[in-house]
Amino acid sequence: MKKMILVLFSVLLMLSIVAAGCGSGSNTVSVYTAFPEQEVIVYLEAFKEETGIEVKHVRLSAGETLARIKAESSNPQASVWFGGPSDTFVAAANDGLLEAYQPEGVSNIPEQFRDVKKVWTPIYVGALGFASNSEWLEKEGLEPPQSWADLLKPEYAGNVTMAHPASSGTAYSIFATLVQLKGEQEALDYFLQLDENIRQYTKSGSAPAKQAGFGETGVGISFAHDILKPKHEGYPITLSFPTDGTGYEVGAVALIKGGPSDQAENAKKFIDWAISKQAQDLYADSGSFRLPVNPEAKVPEGAVKLSDLSVIDYDAVWAGENRDDLLDKFESYVVGKESVVE
Amino acid sequence: MANTNTTPSTNKIETNGSRQLKRMKMLIKEPYLLAIIIIIFVSLFVFSIYPIYQVFKITVVNDEGLLDLSLIVETFTSSFFLKTLWNSIQLGILSAIFGTIIGFIFAYAVTRTEMKGKKFFNLVALLPIISPPFVIALSVILLFGRNGIISNGLFGFDDSNVYGLRSLVFIQTLGFFPIAYLNLKGVLEAIDSSVEDAALNLGASRWKVFRTITLPLAVPGILSSLLLVFIKAIEDFGNPMVIAGEYQTLAVQAYLQITGMYDLRAGSFYAVALLLPSLTAYFIQKYWINKKSYVTVTGKPTQARMKINEKHIVLPLFIFCGLITGAVLLIYGTVLWGAFVKVWGVDNTLTLDNFKYTFTLGFDSVQNSLLLSALSTPITAILGMIIAFLIIRKQFIGKKLMEASSMLAFAVPGTVIGIGYILAFNQKPLLLTGTALILIIAFTFRNITVGIEAGTNSLRQVDPSIEEASTNLGASSFTTFRKISLPLMKSALFSGLVYSFVRSMTSISAVIFLISVNWNLLTVTILSQVEDASLGAAAAYCIILIVIILIVIGLLEFFVNYLSSSKRRSYR
Repeated sequence: MKKMILVLFSVLLMLSIVAAGCGSGSNTVSVYTAFPEQEVIVYLEAFKEETGIEVKHVRLSAGETLARIKAESSNPQASVWFGGPSDTFVAAANDGLLEAYQPEGVSNIPEQFRDVKKVWTPIYVGALGFASNSEWLEKEGLEPPQSWADLLKPEYAGNVTMAHPASSGTAYSIFATLVQLKGEQEALDYFLQLDENIRQYTKSGSAPAKQAGFGETGVGISFAHDILKPKHEGYPITLSFPTDGTGYEVGAVALIKGGPSDQAENAKKFIDWAISKQAQDLYADSGSFRLPVNPEAKVPEGAVKLSDLSVIDYDAVWAGENRDDLLDKFESYVVGKESVVE
Repeated sequence: MANTNTTPSTNKIETNGSRQLKRMKMLIKEPYLLAIIIIIFVSLFVFSIYPIYQVFKITVVNDEGLLDLSLIVETFTSSFFLKTLWNSIQLGILSAIFGTIIGFIFAYAVTRTEMKGKKFFNLVALLPIISPPFVIALSVILLFGRNGIISNGLFGFDDSNVYGLRSLVFIQTLGFFPIAYLNLKGVLEAIDSSVEDAALNLGASRWKVFRTITLPLAVPGILSSLLLVFIKAIEDFGNPMVIAGEYQTLAVQAYLQITGMYDLRAGSFYAVALLLPSLTAYFIQKYWINKKSYVTVTGKPTQARMKINEKHIVLPLFIFCGLITGAVLLIYGTVLWGAFVKVWGVDNTLTLDNFKYTFTLGFDSVQNSLLLSALSTPITAILGMIIAFLIIRKQFIGKKLMEASSMLAFAVPGTVIGIGYILAFNQKPLLLTGTALILIIAFTFRNITVGIEAGTNSLRQVDPSIEEASTNLGASSFTTFRKISLPLMKSALFSGLVYSFVRSMTSISAVIFLISVNWNLLTVTILSQVEDASLGAAAAYCIILIVIILIVIGLLEFFVNYLSSSKRRSYR
């Protein structure tokens, strides 16, 4: 039995070590982030170097973060939500989960990206693009698609992949872009035609780009930074943009309502820093290919500026408000047709 | 494991009333026992039942706090939901059948024959249990996909399609047959071999012995294996998310409703809907087992059994096990390969960059996973042993309830537990979110069934008269448990420790909602690497995870052997 007691003691000892590790001073700020791990480390280190404030972070996808903040609302665990598409921030703001804060220097950011309700702050922009597998293009003797209309061509049959709008924010942006571009009925007709060429509707929004990298599909539709990531990793991907108009996502940062009170000042400092030139310059260094919203910041090499693209005036608020309605139509018109055929 | 042999009721003759009275008296005489029973009930209620209740609640109560059944009505009548439900059931049934058949053949070959390489087969069969999320699906894409090493490289198929039900069943079978194998191995080992040997001596053929004795006696084990594989196959969202294509399953929908559509209520509903097939399967299994008695264990030592050595039986078994083992090794070899090449599947230059990268990213999550799993493992095992002892050996009111509620957190999908915990423990007085404690508790209560099953299986093989003798000589229940029962459960303790440690280290669906800024875990790190397309780093982390688990299993084995050998010395 002495051994049993020994075991118990070592368990207790370990528990006390755990408890000791829990203490956190007020010189920290806790952050939920949707940025990839290797990317966010660059930003957080830079912030610490500049301000001396320690950042603790968890990497969660935007949807996971929203679910977390909602469930934790009576006792929020983090004070800043850093990165992720603005539509999740709009949803969170509508649920009263965010604290309105506009940092110094926000007026430098182009008006079209900013939150009209002044709750969240934009930090980056990324446009929708096409990821083509370079080897596949070469083998088939094809050019990368240059427009939405190109995707309907018979040579792409069975080789176009996008996520399903009902499961992915990215795919919903694609759908909403086409609706804003062509009008509702024409957009639905377009997707009905496109369905003939679709290889697969994936579940996550960045999967089409990865599949193009693997050669699982010829062309994947994703956000440019999701496409450039696997390309940067070494996968054979050619990136192109639709010349007949493309939508974009705005990445955001915001204060979480009721976050740890001893971090309140640090959290504001963090958001102030996030739109500063120094912080925005980091997109170029971290290999992320996001486009800075601060006009003074440098644009990552290899990334394409929004001003060089044919970008539509994407209305994120309208897209958010009409989401349920549009999705119903998509399912009954485009995917519903499929199940009838089955 | 849910090997649910029925307890032979010892006091059938007594009337119901006097039995109840006797139980009450016994409890009052032993305040220790009573206190422990109450503590266990309270903790099961708080950490298993209450969180699940919270998830149920959120599906029927709307944002304004009013009762609202429209979500349920709407979803249940939608054809999409019904199709998804059916898909999950179909996937579960197919995986359960294939997984159990493979598991049974493995277990039979290992326990009943003189086949060569048994140790090796046993080891490889354990590999998929230590598999982190997504790994098998990714390997399958890289092996059999359009650009796959085998499909395109070896056979030159240009347009192979790995997405859909077929691949999914293949993956879930390969991933979960080890559960059936472990379960059935225990059952087959427990069947008294003298019965089989007797039949053989009386002139029955090997086939007849198998058909009329071994197989019928293994039925409870087969049914519980079917159940376990079924539940695991339908609750997993990692592999289906990567490879299911347009084949929707409930677990994936639950995850995507929350993470892709930001709809916590609908997600909770899909997660709760998973309970439907799980519970149905559970009750069918209970019903079938309760109809017959399968108790054969006498507790007396048996002679060495006559193992099968006939070539025409051993050779096909060997080939079969070899093929399955080959498939497992192929999958994990691909992961190993992926960890050491520049770009998995594209640039095959060997490199250590992926490991260097995991070092720069930090080992915090590795440390956390290890520490928290190591803390919860002994708690799980000992608590499990105590509950097993209470259920098998003691009579008290609410015994069935204790058994059922301890199963609950194991049987429900991880997503339900994760959401339930965050809803239940986010306010005073039980403010646990963001702490290490919530993860330890989640590990413990999700794995406790493992400890209980290991304990009950071994206690059933121990003659209760030894314990009765101890009690008659004046020892309290507590002393009897400590000095007699616990030492006798040592081997079960070991398997309980190993399995709950492994389950803690590799769990993802529950903990993804419970990790926090201070306490991030390794599996969640792997998941984010996969999401960011850094497959090399993900593979490297997987290898680190597998190595850690193998080291810990080795240490545990050494530790338990050391404990039991020194114990034996002190008895002499």
